[in-house]
Amino acid sequence: MQRSVLVPPQSRRQFLAGVAGVGGLGLTGLLGARAWSGTEDSVVFPFVNGGRNLVKTLPQKGAMVLQRARPPLLETPFEVFDQGIFTPNDRFYVRWHLANIPAFVDPATFRLKVRGHVKQSVSFTLDDLVRKFKPVEIAAVNQCSGNSRGFFAPRVAGGQWANGAMGNALWRGVSLKAVLDRAGVKAGALQVRFNGLDTGILPQTPDFMKSLDVDHSLDGEVMIAYAMNGKPLPLLNGYPLRLVVPGWYATYWVKMLDDIEVLDKPDDNFWMTRAYLIPDTPLADMVPGQLGVKLIPINRMVPRSFFTNVKDQAKFQVGETTTVRGIAFGGDTGVAKVLFSADAGSHWQEARLGSDHGKYSFRQWTVELRHSSAGPQTLMVKAFNTAGASQPDGANWNGSGFMRNVVESVSVQSV
Amino acid sequence: MFKELRFASTVSVLLCVAISSLVCGVAWWSSAKADSASGKKDVASRQWAIVRVELPASDESFPPGIGADIASSQCLICHSAGMVLTQPPLKKDEWRAEIVKMRSAYGAPIPDDQVDGLSAYLKNINGRD
Repeated sequence: MQRSVLVPPQSRRQFLAGVAGVGGLGLTGLLGARAWSGTEDSVVFPFVNGGRNLVKTLPQKGAMVLQRARPPLLETPFEVFDQGIFTPNDRFYVRWHLANIPAFVDPATFRLKVRGHVKQSVSFTLDDLVRKFKPVEIAAVNQCSGNSRGFFAPRVAGGQWANGAMGNALWRGVSLKAVLDRAGVKAGALQVRFNGLDTGILPQTPDFMKSLDVDHSLDGEVMIAYAMNGKPLPLLNGYPLRLVVPGWYATYWVKMLDDIEVLDKPDDNFWMTRAYLIPDTPLADMVPGQLGVKLIPINRMVPRSFFTNVKDQAKFQVGETTTVRGIAFGGDTGVAKVLFSADAGSHWQEARLGSDHGKYSFRQWTVELRHSSAGPQTLMVKAFNTAGASQPDGANWNGSGFMRNVVESVSVQSV
Repeated sequence: MFKELRFASTVSVLLCVAISSLVCGVAWWSSAKADSASGKKDVASRQWAIVRVELPASDESFPPGIGADIASSQCLICHSAGMVLTQPPLKKDEWRAEIVKMRSAYGAPIPDDQVDGLSAYLKNINGRD
């Protein structure tokens, strides 16, 4: 059976190789006439080796794009972002570094420990956190540092995500400051290190830990979440507790958080000093092959915006009007405005913004687009945050595939 | 459909989780409110959803070829084959750099005398010149 010519040959070869173990069964129908956008069992991202299976059997999850089974990397199918500003828990993307993940956490015996450079070590049960602290809530985007890595040109190694390694949730929990105050941070503390229950398979694999400066940890905004969108977190999203660092990349949002250590010296662990480093340049941008670039730990997010109801190659009827919509977020602060262009960036108009759920949340944008004449069009969208930061017209690049936030565009046609 | 994931008794696990999340989740929120109003202490963990899942596994294997045995015995210790097969095609020295990183950063026990063979294999199955 002939396959669609739309799939890049390399994609097709590798995609089929990935399911070769089925012994031929299932190959038919995996890629059919709708190969470019995928079938009900698959998606094909528009980059080389972009074929992925769509999986519905993951625990506490609906249909997810399977990037890697173990440890799990699951991407949110992009159409989910058109269905609401909050990403449902069962469609929220998943990213683990280390494969020893507890499949069961006993809420009766689980403890969150606070120790290190503190006046007294303390530990809390889950009920302590719910009952003995004032609950706090914040809507915030959680985005993988490497979201959209698959679009980097030249390509870079790492999880080959399209744009769905992000999500927005209403997080409920306790403020990290309140928890640290119970232990009493001592003078001279510099950083606070967060560790979860996951570990590597090999004893020599560095345990996944991340740190924030003490001042950041005590800003009252960083929180420990025990609920997301009104429900306990799915295990794959960090049940029972997850650090929430509004405006910062998800690498800091440690999952299955059970250990907080206050440090009186800078954290020199692998995941802070050798991984998740970015060029110390605007938008972490550099030229491929550039030498002598100073590297720093990744930190604040940058603005992004997306189309959610118009796909590349969409067709419209001349004379009709379409409500074009999408989502935007400001990165480390709120969305000030979203601009839309119907002519590849020559002219821009301000989009209408939807309800404001706080400065760290997704925000919907809409424009009415009248299809006045036949022909091709390039639509673009660009977000500005309240600090004046915006999205670059050309893609930012670095060797780790972090922080992509180029202006998004779609090619459409009116007929 | 495909063989990438293995779930023994997935349905029953999911059903249990769904039911317990629903039931316990509701109990947890409502009684947390009631308790804070009455000042009552601790009734505890039964109010938390009991979450027990089956983590995704993978049956996906590396394509046959010289060096496939090295990939199968080494790479699969820490991650499924999908991680390798979804990468963009890399040059042999780029694959070598990945192998070196797996050894030096994550402690992969790949012997010196297998690094070249594994680089060549990975370039063959997903590479470019």
